Amino acid sequence: MKRRHGRVWRAAQSYASLLGLVVLWQGLYGLGWLPEYLLGPSVIVAQFGEMVTSGELFGHLRSSLVRSYAGFLAGSLLGIGLGLLSGISRRAEDLFNPLISLTYPIPKIAILPVLIVWFGIGDASKILVILLACFYPVFINAYYGARAVDRLHVWSALNMGATPAQIFRRIVLPTALPQIFSGLRVALALSFILLFSAEMIGASSGLGFLISFAEANLRFDIMFVAIVTIAILGFANDRLLVYVRQRALTWEARRR
Amino acid sequence: MALLEIRGLRKAFERGGTPIVALENLNLSVGEGEFVTIVGPSGCGKSTLLHILGGFEELSGGEVLVNGRAIGGPGRDRGMVFQEFALFPWRTALGNVLWGVELEGRPRGEALEVAERYLEMVGLLPFKDLYPHELSGGMKQRVALARVLAFDPRVLLMDEPFGSLDAQTRELMQEELNRIWEQTGKTVLFVTHDIEEAIYLGDRVLVLTARPGTIKEVVEIKLPRPRDIQVKKQEPYIAYRNAIWDLLREEVLKSRLDVPGVAAETP
Amino acid sequence: MSSGPAPGKREKARAAGRVGVQGRGWSRARKATSCLAILGTWEVVAHSGWVSPLLLPSIAGVLQEAARMAGNLSLFMHVGHSVYRALVGFLLATVVGVIIGFLMGRFRAAELALERFFAVTYPVPKISIYPILVFIFGLGNVSKIALIFLECVYPMVINTYYGTRAVNPLLFWAARNMGAGPAVIFRRVVIPAAAPHIFSGIRIAMPIALVLVVITEMIGSNNGLGYLIIYSSASFRSRDMFVGILGIGVVGFIFDNLLVWARRRLIFWERETRFVA
Repeated sequence: MKRRHGRVWRAAQSYASLLGLVVLWQGLYGLGWLPEYLLGPSVIVAQFGEMVTSGELFGHLRSSLVRSYAGFLAGSLLGIGLGLLSGISRRAEDLFNPLISLTYPIPKIAILPVLIVWFGIGDASKILVILLACFYPVFINAYYGARAVDRLHVWSALNMGATPAQIFRRIVLPTALPQIFSGLRVALALSFILLFSAEMIGASSGLGFLISFAEANLRFDIMFVAIVTIAILGFANDRLLVYVRQRALTWEARRR
Repeated sequence: MALLEIRGLRKAFERGGTPIVALENLNLSVGEGEFVTIVGPSGCGKSTLLHILGGFEELSGGEVLVNGRAIGGPGRDRGMVFQEFALFPWRTALGNVLWGVELEGRPRGEALEVAERYLEMVGLLPFKDLYPHELSGGMKQRVALARVLAFDPRVLLMDEPFGSLDAQTRELMQEELNRIWEQTGKTVLFVTHDIEEAIYLGDRVLVLTARPGTIKEVVEIKLPRPRDIQVKKQEPYIAYRNAIWDLLREEVLKSRLDVPGVAAETP
Repeated sequence: MSSGPAPGKREKARAAGRVGVQGRGWSRARKATSCLAILGTWEVVAHSGWVSPLLLPSIAGVLQEAARMAGNLSLFMHVGHSVYRALVGFLLATVVGVIIGFLMGRFRAAELALERFFAVTYPVPKISIYPILVFIFGLGNVSKIALIFLECVYPMVINTYYGTRAVNPLLFWAARNMGAGPAVIFRRVVIPAAAPHIFSGIRIAMPIALVLVVITEMIGSNNGLGYLIIYSSASFRSRDMFVGILGIGVVGFIFDNLLVWARRRLIFWERETRFVA
């Protein structure tokens, strides 16, 4: 009983800093000590409710999510496939790795204007730039994951008479999976950074667009609603990925 | 006819540009159901020998026959147990044993039955749903043993299987292996650096020379079967131990005179 | 193990896991092929007239333009601005992040106060508050550096935190036993012991700094490589656009290699896996 109490108390303490920050923010706002572009939490929540009921927020949310998910999924799948291939085949490694290491240092956002020139300012260029940004970390992690395969595991499988396909599915894939997930987590964070900056640079919908629109019209309440939505989105997707990881890697989760 | 026949085996490889001969002109013939243990100074190529017999490493000369046929790569007729267990961390104890049985193409229910039977044989059935990291070293090695027994190889190749266990667990596992061997009648090649273990388990003890490894002497162990661990306290056992220890001492001293630092077993 | 390179686990895996292992000469030839093929195709397509040079300028043309811009020093001006912003933000984040991470890892009160805050706000894309930073600090260097700082400080804090917690407690005891105070422990125990973790943080933060400097320069600036790229794009000067991309790529390449070099010098006792072809 006492230990349980201790745990609750500790949890409360650890979240206290977050809560305290919000209370402080609201207090300062109430006292009128904040500059006009820093609205209080109460105003933001009210505006948030309004934009949710009017449905305005969902339109932007949907545009943003379609772009980020499409780019993230396509880039990740490509990265996993080619990365694993490079990890198990010398030939593929020689083909892909020089290209990857040559283009890796270029921040992918720099290519956005090129993509806009090629594919227009619509969704295609945004999805492509997100795809590119997600591809690299996933490729590199999948590659190293596959390379980390334990020789004795391969031998044991060969000993049992497993075929190359079975070895790939039962040994290479599980070995590489934890690292693939680390790559996915980096890719997810990057996908949102790129999404919102691409939308701020040029778009007519989406949360990034909403921010620059609100900024231009000095609607700080709308701006903060967009910021809060983005924060929730980033946080929720990260949690989702961590959850999927735990489900996929039960054997690893139990080690903790 | 011998089940396992090794003729003029030679293994050479290169490390950092220097050619190294690990094994030279090694001849051996092992009969069905025999338990052969192998001791030798570290770096003499004991593990390399087993890796070659398992089909994981190529030989540079000579031939290895199982049941009269030359081996080509790994096969289910030779089951390998590694010192490092080599269990798949993402599968439970049962899952580890099950895979080898499933690959035979048996229906799932039947495979499950076989896997559980072998887990029971090594005394781990109550722990079948635990993952490798939840098992102690001795338990892990039991799972590894069950995994190999379950696909029913004719020859068991054991590469210092108890080398990473503590002294007590080690002794327990020796008794356990002895019992299982009596029960299954498998042919076993067992590499160890522990002389007592080699004598207690083996029908014959092969003493290998320092590199390049070849057979220095074969010691027949004429202790009565089935053997009790108490045998280790008796006079003939101690005589064997002293004899083999002397043989080994010569080789260890020889290998010390060799280039220091190149004592690793495999490339 | 004493002479020659230690045969690492990876090399062993390589030998066992490979499907087709061939000679080294072949491998080297193939490595060059893929890059040369792509660059060659690019050049041929650019000269063929199939696509407008607005969409795909020739590599020769891009290099010529780069040489011209280097000649009148405008290229260096842009590079200088971008590097300055990225470096200042990144270095600030490194210093502050390491200190916060250390405090969180060593002192219960700091951990309670800050751990949740950083864990919850880590996955939030900080780019969204850039407009607020612009309101506070103006459109100049400060808002850009502030955003880079914000985005980079997270990996530094989190990695140092885990690194500090992973330090063998025996090392702390040994240091205390010798009479070391917190400052000495920080410098002589935590920094070296957590250094591999800190470097992992740096390797995450560095590329992020470059991404953000380009983004912020694209959104609002009148110099820097991001500005060069977006301005050239808007005025259909595609050669200049590619010069900008090439420029930031070279900067990224140099930074990454500097980091690897520094890591090798500073953390000589531990090997690092690195993506090399």
